[in-house]
Amino acid sequence: MASVSRTSEGNHPSFWGTFWTNAVFAPRTTLGFMRVDFVLGTVFVIPMTQMVFFAFVVRLGGGGASEIAYTAIGNAVATVTYSSVFSVCQTTDQEKNQATLEHLLVSPANRLALYMGRGLIPILISFCTVAVGLTYAALFFGVTIVPGTIPTIAVSIILTAFAMVGFGLLLGGVALYLRTSIILGNIFLFVGLLLSGVNFPLSSLPLAFQYAGDALPLTWGIAAIRASIAGDPIGTVSILWFAVVLSALASYGAAIGLWRVFERRALVTGSIARF
Amino acid sequence: MALPTTHVSRARSTSASFRLSILQFLADPQWLIPSMIAPIIFGLVSFELFRSAGPYYLTYAILGAGMMSMWGQTLYGSGWATGQDRTWGTLEPTIQSPTPYLYVVLGRVLWNVVSGLIGGGIVYLVVVAVAGGPPSLPNPVGFVLLFLFVMVSLAAVGVVFAAFYVYTRYAGFIQNIGEFAFYVGTGCMFPVVLLPFWAGPIALIFPPTWALDALRYNSIPGYTGFSWGYSWDLVGAVATTAAYAAVAGSIFHRVERHVLEEGSLDEY
Amino acid sequence: MATERYAVETRGITRVFESRKGFLFREKTRTEALKGVDLAVESGSIFGLLGPNGAGKTTLTKILSTLLIPTGGRAEVLGHDVVAEAEWLRPRIGLVLGGERGLYNRINAKDNLRYFADLYGVPVAERERRIDEVLARVDLSWAAERRVEEYSRGMKQKLHIARGILHRPQILFLDEPTIGLDPKSARETRKLIRSLVGDGVSIFLTTHYMFEAEELCRDIAVLTKGRVVAHDSVPGLRHLVGGDRTLEAESHGFDDREVESLRHLPGVSKVVSEEYGPWLRLTLRVRTSETTPDDVRGALPGHPDLMVRERQTSLEDVYLDLVEEEAA
Repeated sequence: MASVSRTSEGNHPSFWGTFWTNAVFAPRTTLGFMRVDFVLGTVFVIPMTQMVFFAFVVRLGGGGASEIAYTAIGNAVATVTYSSVFSVCQTTDQEKNQATLEHLLVSPANRLALYMGRGLIPILISFCTVAVGLTYAALFFGVTIVPGTIPTIAVSIILTAFAMVGFGLLLGGVALYLRTSIILGNIFLFVGLLLSGVNFPLSSLPLAFQYAGDALPLTWGIAAIRASIAGDPIGTVSILWFAVVLSALASYGAAIGLWRVFERRALVTGSIARF
Repeated sequence: MALPTTHVSRARSTSASFRLSILQFLADPQWLIPSMIAPIIFGLVSFELFRSAGPYYLTYAILGAGMMSMWGQTLYGSGWATGQDRTWGTLEPTIQSPTPYLYVVLGRVLWNVVSGLIGGGIVYLVVVAVAGGPPSLPNPVGFVLLFLFVMVSLAAVGVVFAAFYVYTRYAGFIQNIGEFAFYVGTGCMFPVVLLPFWAGPIALIFPPTWALDALRYNSIPGYTGFSWGYSWDLVGAVATTAAYAAVAGSIFHRVERHVLEEGSLDEY
Repeated sequence: MATERYAVETRGITRVFESRKGFLFREKTRTEALKGVDLAVESGSIFGLLGPNGAGKTTLTKILSTLLIPTGGRAEVLGHDVVAEAEWLRPRIGLVLGGERGLYNRINAKDNLRYFADLYGVPVAERERRIDEVLARVDLSWAAERRVEEYSRGMKQKLHIARGILHRPQILFLDEPTIGLDPKSARETRKLIRSLVGDGVSIFLTTHYMFEAEELCRDIAVLTKGRVVAHDSVPGLRHLVGGDRTLEAESHGFDDREVESLRHLPGVSKVVSEEYGPWLRLTLRVRTSETTPDDVRGALPGHPDLMVRERQTSLEDVYLDLVEEEAA
């Protein structure tokens, strides 16, 4: 898998070699999702259809232009789940199906480089997906985006994409033990719609739901992007950025830890080969 | 050893496929989690969005979320199982058997109808619990009958969609991309008449669009759906469902022929 | 029971694979897997199809078992066209593709077999008895209730075979049936294959194991680069490559003049030299008994370390000769 440099003690894959190989090679081999035409579909079609769907639901529920704009922003950001959580989860499933996971797990490659590398392209696609979604929001759903706020919005999107990919890696780690991680991907796709302030403010939910929502990176990502669009002071946005980064680090840290635990557990139970 | 082989009963093939679906589900019951969570969340989201919009919007929320759940189970579940056949390499021996693959899909669709009904029931219970009481239904018997018919219409679409999974290994990805477009186009959460006029003819290709409109006419007093009203909705629903059922055999025959020509059965 | 003389008959079968890649599937690649295959396989026999990887064996097997439509030509199985009469043929064909895939791993062996028994229309009253019978025949009764995902590769291979014979086909296509099996299981599988022929089943076998083909098959065809380059009985194939007998001479080196002198010995049809380690080996295919090891020694004087051996030409020799000739 990884690029290698020969030493007298054998082959030792370098950190950056492993990172780069996994960033470029792994998505191409394991994800039909990464076909250019499908990526374009994810980036351009999913945000529009999801936003249209919820905009009509809001309209039927008696919502006006401001409610529709609110929903449009939430769903533009929520579509990041497809290109981050789903795609990263799928890598593990595909590795299982193609019987390449065992080879991966016995390789001497640095795990951090391996998993971080796999997140690179999903981060880029996630960024594009949210950016396109917000463009739709501005063009068709009455969301006002002031040019001066674009740099802040861009930073918010990058951090959200980074955090969501970390979350996908975390779920992908659980997939080592389960038969498939797509189940978890599905669950969090739906949970995000309810608990992350996508369609209505989190504050309208019971307190327990609000706490649960706070644990999701998507919640902080959406809040940061909403604040950026609203032109909130940089101090306010920075606090939300900090929360996104914190949730990202927690996700990546937990992902690496979980991968280690489940690697060992999967080797003991033999669940690697199950799919 | 070689004896004349008996005729393969279609009903037996369908029931074998139904049984296999149950066995697969029992072997991997973790699928129960998303199939329960999805309808609950759809129910809660739609209830929250419809909360302040009048008494009958509770029915809207239940119908919409229930339909989305059943759509997922019936439509995607059947195709997904065919996609898994590809991944597991079981599509080839199944196609090679004397049973037309249509009947294998039919068995899976039946199972998905059952699990979709369970999902719909869960939505009902959750939303009723959150709302503090059941919605008022002016015609409960008609509601139940129409609800069952909606399931039949979904199954008809599910069978035809499953052919797409036989046709190409990319069906799952394409369907994911088109998921919300289907929800919009068939008006599972809101009346299709809200959509721009050009979307209407596309929506009418799908039997559930008609059946759902009829179901709303039946359940929501003052509902404004298609201008032709309840009776013609029923006629349209029956006609489109019958059309789907009629063409399913031919579609599967052509798709099977196509994949045998392409040699793409073992691709995953 | 098949009453036709030929269980399989093909005329000019071609198969081209076109795959599309890239943006909106616009790039097309074209691979010609079969280039006009003519074959006739007698009913009630075991026929072996040999060939290197990528020769087109699995493609031909899939065409004959109705899983693939040929691009050109015509193929009949049990006297019926594999395309136009696929529906008639499918209940009468057994197919064993083998490998790790192709089974429902999450359920047990019996449930796998029950499912396919239903799809093949095995009489309900006989179903359980037949499942027990085929599991016993492949020595899997002891694991019948275990999930397939817990099976070893060899056990899965046996289950593939059990499924292939469950509906009592008139012809059985076996694509490398003993791959992944331990020697004992492989031997039992070969015994099973022979017993199926005794029951009147025609067998179409592809294998990479030459001894297996030699042991089981009455007729053998060698397929390479999509063409049948030979089709005969094992003795007939030996004759085709230049002799029943093979003489091998080994030393530290031979010059061209010595090699040439061997070619002129009576009955020698072919001399091939190959290096291995410090040794050079000359292999001679000999048609008659006129040339003996002593004649070879006589033709190669001045080699104190010379070793000459005589043996019967094996199917492996025949196969390698044919494949190498085709490659050349």
